[in-house]
Formats: sequence, structure tokens, C-alpha cells
Amino acid sequence: MGALPRSTVPSLAVVQPTDAAPLIVFDRVALDFGARRVINELSFTMKRGEVVCVIGPSGCGKTTLLRLLTGLVRPSSGEVRHHGSPVTGPARDVAIVFQDYARALLPWRSVAGNVSLALEAADVPKAERAPRIHSLLDKVGLAAHADKYPGQLSGGMQQRLQIARCLAQEPAVLLMDEPFGALDAMTRQTLQDEMLQLVAGTGTTVLFITHDLEEAIYLGDTVLALRANPGERSSLAQRFEVQLPRPRDQLATREDPEFLRLRRLAFEHVKDTH
Amino acid sequence: MDARRIDLRGWVLPIALLLVAEVAMRVNGTDSEALARPSEVARALWDALKDGTVLAASLQTLAAALGGLALGGGMGLLAGLWFGLSSRAERWSLLSVELLRPVPSVALIPIAMLVFGFGYRMEMSVVAFTCFWPMMLLTQAAIRQVEPRLFEVAHVLGLAAHDRVIKIVLPAAAPRVFVAFRLGVGIALVVAVTVEIAANPQGLGFGLMSAQQNLRPDLMFALLLWVGALGWALSAALVALERRCFHRVSAAGTQA
Repeated sequence: MGALPRSTVPSLAVVQPTDAAPLIVFDRVALDFGARRVINELSFTMKRGEVVCVIGPSGCGKTTLLRLLTGLVRPSSGEVRHHGSPVTGPARDVAIVFQDYARALLPWRSVAGNVSLALEAADVPKAERAPRIHSLLDKVGLAAHADKYPGQLSGGMQQRLQIARCLAQEPAVLLMDEPFGALDAMTRQTLQDEMLQLVAGTGTTVLFITHDLEEAIYLGDTVLALRANPGERSSLAQRFEVQLPRPRDQLATREDPEFLRLRRLAFEHVKDTH
Repeated sequence: MDARRIDLRGWVLPIALLLVAEVAMRVNGTDSEALARPSEVARALWDALKDGTVLAASLQTLAAALGGLALGGGMGLLAGLWFGLSSRAERWSLLSVELLRPVPSVALIPIAMLVFGFGYRMEMSVVAFTCFWPMMLLTQAAIRQVEPRLFEVAHVLGLAAHDRVIKIVLPAAAPRVFVAFRLGVGIALVVAVTVEIAANPQGLGFGLMSAQQNLRPDLMFALLLWVGALGWALSAALVALERRCFHRVSAAGTQA
């Protein structure tokens, strides 16, 4: 199937196979914390530009899933592959947005300084930093607050700042650990749409952890439901494909019959497993 | 405005006590080798300030105290950093620290005298030994209290090890390390004056001893008052500096 473009346009031929191949592969991953098996027989793949949401009861290893991808945690067996090679440590193009934004920001650095940290870590020359910081803050709507300190910002703004710092890494993969869980409902919806817009513009692949079923369906192309205490079974309890049109809309999408159908399925699944 | 009123109220008690002492001593006609009337103490302080002896002695004491603090506190800071960042270093040093730390610093005066003789070096060495321990232990604790999430952020950003120390650990620990430094200044002053009283013929402590031996209670109390004022001024200056440097950070901390 790749024969035709490969013979005609050589430059495309290099891109195409990597595009078709999954960007991230979880291959029969298992993880033990001491004697307890947290994750068992977990296999799934993520395509470039895909938004995968993970739901599941607390203690099912949702956050651990993210840590596996950053190299903060190594699997006990199986393999996590990124770009085809096993994950052994942090990669510059994998960024993580933590839920507790207040703790993840440097309180002694200004808004601009916090974004700068990511650029400094990536050895971006000093002269290039200021314009890039400005454009990143502009993207997340914080351009007017560059000289403020995190302590002077609202929760939503602090989370936007953390997202800006992650975008500064120019990530191919954005890992989000219940990023909007601590925010009020209105701010959460605004940030959901902003996030979708940002990743759609850059083709970023997103792994999004949440305990909010509706949020998972609203954001995701795929929703993975994990189970706690998997024992001998696979950690992956169920997988929902979300065939809702993009761009998503807070009213239209949430009223779509397909959204309601998935919501019912997901709720029934959760009710059965809790 | 309000704060100033409270300050003024705080002066009422000491002034009243001094007045009572003055009146009582005058009525009783007290003429003692251990006590002096507040007015005599004030005159002795004024004279000693005018002829420059108090200032010279203060400089000697401050130089020894701050020099010793810089030496001992600096080494304590480095050791605390090392032990705070490396649990292996901490395990290897734990017993030595536990054995050396309880040694009373004043007990080192005979050894310091033997090694350095009289003078700054001997006084500074005792001050340095005393300041080393709190600085080391508090720095170590400050580093352990750095928000663990920040280490994860550094890890995920791929921050190099030295950047992690300079850009994350040190600024995060700085407010607590400064508190240790402030504590150290107080300790250094106490130890410096103690060494001067016990052995070293220079500075305010020696001045106090001379006044006592020359049966000059007025000068003795004047110097005592002066040492207290000096310590108070130093600590007030440091508190002001702390507020200036870390106000932002602590404000962010309370909101978080």
C-alpha cells in the first residue's frame, strides 16, 4: 500500500511509514509495587495526533501509566515504546501537566521565568527565549501577566501557565494527569476547549487521565477504562472509540446522541466495576 | 500607624523600671560595687561612645563573630547541601555528626588558645565550630522539605544535575536557609562575647570583664546594654532583609 508514494515522492516515503506506525506502544506492561500488582497485561497503542483518555477507579494505576511514559517508573515486565524504542528516561518531547499546578510551578520565578525554565533545560539560546516565551504566553492567554508571580494568579491561570511551560518543550506527546480536576466547572470547560485547540493546531498526541467520564468522552478519540486490582486479568477493562465530529462544542457535542450513548455505556461500566 | 503605637507602648515598662530604679537608688543613697544608677550607666555609655572605645570593641567583636559565621556557616551550608542531596553521604556522616555536635563550643576555648594563641583566629575558630552545626542541620532539613513535585518537574524537563541544584533546589530552600543564617548571627554574637569574657583579651566581652575588675559597674551595665542593642539591631536588620528577599515566595507559598 505504501508502494505508490514511495516510488514517486521519496521524501514522503520516509514520513509515511512513521505516520502509519503507532507513536506509543504499551506492550503487555505489568507493574508491581512491592507484592501488589498495580498494572497487569496492559496493551494499547496511540497514533500521532490522537487524544486518548484514561478513566478508572482510584488506585487503578492511572497516574502510574503517565509515569511509565516519562521514565519516572519502569515496568516490571513488558515494554513501553516511544518512537519504536523502549522508554528508559525522560524525553524532551514528552511533557507532563500535573494536577497540582501550585506545586509544579516555581513560586520564586515570574510567569515568564517559569516558561523560561523549559527553554533553559532545552539549551535554547538566551536571545531566542524572550520571543518564544511571549508567543507561548500569548497562546494560553497570559501575555498580559508575564511579570506576575504564580502566587498572584488564579488556579485556572496557574494551570494555563503550566501548560505553556509544557508547550515550550514542543512536545510530540502531552501527558495530562487530571489537569482540570481542581478547577471550577466553567474554567474547566474553557480550558478543555483551549487545550483541544492547541493540540489540534500542533498535531500533538495526548494521553489524558481523568476521573470525569464526560470529560473523557468530550476530549478523547479513544477512552480506555482501567480496573483496579487486576489480579490475573488485564488492567484494560474496556475501550470506547469516540466517533464524535471535531471541533467539539460544549453544547452540541454534549447533546449529540452518540455522546449520550457513550456516556451511558461508560457509566454502566463504572457502576459494574465499583 | 498601628504598629508604631504598639512599639511606643512597649517602651513604657522599661522606662518605668529605670525611673523606679533611679529614684529608689537615690532615696536609699545606694553606693555599690555591683550596681549603678541608670543615669550613671547612661553617662558611662555616652563617654565610652565619645572616646571611641565602645566602637572599637564592637568592631572587634563583630569582625570575629561574622568572620566565624562566614567560615563555619559557609562550611555548614556546603555540608548540609551535600548531605541533603545525597542520602549516602548522610548515612556515612551520621555517627560523626552525632558525636561531634554535642561538644559544648566553650569547651574548645583551651584547644583554640593552644593552637592559635589570643586574637581573631582563636575566637573565629570557636564561633565557626558553633555555627557549623545549626547551619548544616537546617540546610539539610531545608533541602529535604523542597517540594518533591519540583524534582519531578526537573526530571521531566530533562534539567541537568547542576541546573537542578542551582535553579530548583537552592532557590526552593533559600527562605529556610536564610532563617538558619539569621539564627547563626545570634549564636555567633553570643559565642564571640563568651570567648572574649572567658579568654580573649579584645572586644566587648573583654570590655565587660575589665569594667567588672576595675569596679566600674556603670560601665559594665553600659556595655551590657550596648551588646543587647547591637544584637537587637542585627536581628532587626536581618528580618527586614528577609522580608525584602522572600516576601514574594512566602506569599506564593501561603496561597498554594
